[in-house]
Amino acid sequence: MQIISTKKEGRHDRSIVLLLALALSTALGVHSVSAQTRPEPKALLQQVDSLSDFTGKDFSAVFTIVTQKPGEKDSVTQARVFRRDMKKQFLILILLPEVNKGQGYLREDDNVWFYDPTSRKFSHSSVKENLQNTKAKNSDFTLSSFAEDYTVTGMNEGMVGKFPVWVLDLKANTNEVAYDRVVLYIRKDPTMLLKREDYSVNGRLMRTTAYPKYVEIEGKLLPSQILILDEINKGEKSQITMTEQSVTPLPDKVFTKAFLEQVSR
Amino acid sequence: MNTVLPRIAARNLLRQKKRTVLLAGAIAFGIMIVTLINGFAGSFIKNVSENFAYLMGGHVFVSGSEYTASGKRISVIRDDSVIMQALSDSGEKWSSLQKTSETSATLIFESKSIRQNLTGVDLAHSAMLKERLALIKGSWDNLAWPNAIIISQSVAKKLNVLPGDTVVAQFQTITGQNNVGEFRVAAITVDSSFVGAMMTYVQLDYLNSLIGLGKNEYMSLGIMLEKLDRSGAFANSLYTSMKGMGLQLFDRSTKQQESGSTTPFQSMIREQNNETWTGTKYRVYTIDDVLAQAKQIVVALDTASVAILIVLFAIVMIGISNTFRMAMYERIREIGTMRAVGVQRTEIRSMFLYEALFLALAGAVAGIILALIAMTIASLINFDAQSPVFLILKAGHLSFYLPPLRALGNILIIAVLTLVAVYAPANAAAKMPPAEALRTVK
Repeated sequence: MQIISTKKEGRHDRSIVLLLALALSTALGVHSVSAQTRPEPKALLQQVDSLSDFTGKDFSAVFTIVTQKPGEKDSVTQARVFRRDMKKQFLILILLPEVNKGQGYLREDDNVWFYDPTSRKFSHSSVKENLQNTKAKNSDFTLSSFAEDYTVTGMNEGMVGKFPVWVLDLKANTNEVAYDRVVLYIRKDPTMLLKREDYSVNGRLMRTTAYPKYVEIEGKLLPSQILILDEINKGEKSQITMTEQSVTPLPDKVFTKAFLEQVSR
Repeated sequence: MNTVLPRIAARNLLRQKKRTVLLAGAIAFGIMIVTLINGFAGSFIKNVSENFAYLMGGHVFVSGSEYTASGKRISVIRDDSVIMQALSDSGEKWSSLQKTSETSATLIFESKSIRQNLTGVDLAHSAMLKERLALIKGSWDNLAWPNAIIISQSVAKKLNVLPGDTVVAQFQTITGQNNVGEFRVAAITVDSSFVGAMMTYVQLDYLNSLIGLGKNEYMSLGIMLEKLDRSGAFANSLYTSMKGMGLQLFDRSTKQQESGSTTPFQSMIREQNNETWTGTKYRVYTIDDVLAQAKQIVVALDTASVAILIVLFAIVMIGISNTFRMAMYERIREIGTMRAVGVQRTEIRSMFLYEALFLALAGAVAGIILALIAMTIASLINFDAQSPVFLILKAGHLSFYLPPLRALGNILIIAVLTLVAVYAPANAAAKMPPAEALRTVK
């Protein structure tokens, strides 16, 4: 019995070793396959940035933002956005609500100006500021610069809905970008940003952004619908819809204070 | 000195009591209105400055600015040892110092939110806060909590919080990154005006840790003096002392000469926007520099009071002139008799002018007394702490300050105007031939 038992144990041990070897080789095999298809994180970030990059062209679109806050009536903000990515210029002109119509944000060099037609004055603003009373920031309407602003600290695989994604954990390179840590959920094929999480300096999740719908313009994939959830003030959210997108060349005067003053009248 | 003429003039005034009372009453009313305006203007700027001084935490302020590596300008005082030395070397005295940091934040509690300015101070050791704030809920003992927050009644109502509740604050660090902090409501205060309702106090160390400042760093040093009047001289001494210690400072002397719509403080900020520098550059400014535009209100009030004085007295003077002309005709035989017994023309004229002078003085003094009574009554009215006029009140009451020289000036103006108004009838009386005067039948 003891011998049989020993033989059985011996077989059992061999089986375990075989299983372990098989598992290890499988794992290694998977890993090697995975390593072959795993993109370089920085290159992946650059690819995401390039999705919204219209360098060499001008871009304009109308964004409608519906913001929900508990206990308050839904508010609708509409803005026409003009972009010239080559010079990192943008102009955001508020169309709705009627009371704020004519207000605008203009980026000139590194300065972002806010224009109020009531006082006819320009004041300093920032791409980190929220657009009006919405959950969206001015930077949500401009060219993204993840590759320049962040370093990838982690890269994993995951799923968003039924889509396999790369989950990139980003840490800010400087203390001057809006969020110190950002987690991106990037669809593998085709490469497109599906979800983004923004964290505070002390590591608290502040904002989750989902990009459920995309449109193709001139070979670029742009989110046509964005959903932003406020994770601090639960229940507050904004839904952004993009329409009237165009890459028609814009006159130079569009990106000037004079133009903003003129169209605000 | 000849006292006969003044005595006759006084007697003449007393002979026509009703007329004298009406004329003096008109003068008194005018001077009362003008004195009330002067008294209000006199205390207006002082009250506004004092109230803002308590809200801002000082009469004189020092703040520092520096550029980050990427060229962003931030407000910070990293090492205040030289400032403290400069304060000590200035030879000036102060009653308290308050180190503060600030950020604009959204306070959130159970899906309710409100935008507030968070002021970080050493809550447990701030004598000024304890002296100034009236608690309606919570306790001063709670200020020992490391994440304590003091909010006003209206903010507490909006968020529906009570002492002990934890509110979440969302804000940006000094370099513009988003951050979140949790604050525990230590106390709820009575709103002191619409400005007071905006003030929310938190622990300096905790706020610094959240906005990216070090433990001993802060944004602004508030210096509370014994008297507000000393703030200009104090700031100049401190400026000189800091300059002498080699600190970089925004020019203060040139700002004193600027006028128009730009306050000295705004000029300083504008200068800052046009300059670049390395290291920390400091601003020394007073509450008066910040509120310089409020002084224009005082100038407007004073100008209005002078205009009112002139208009009111133009009307009163016409009445006085006519009344004295009537008085001259009533006393025409008396004047004739006086001239016949040897009284000179100049003495007749002087008699009328004395009468006018006494009338003006009596009216002016009565007007000032009436104004002082009205001021005393008005200052007894207790205004609500949330009243929009709270900033111009002193401890919830209207207060008045009448500069003595201004009161004397008003009396002098009235006296001169009255003499001018009476000069013509007085001259006519003086020039009247005695025989003709005696022949005249009333």
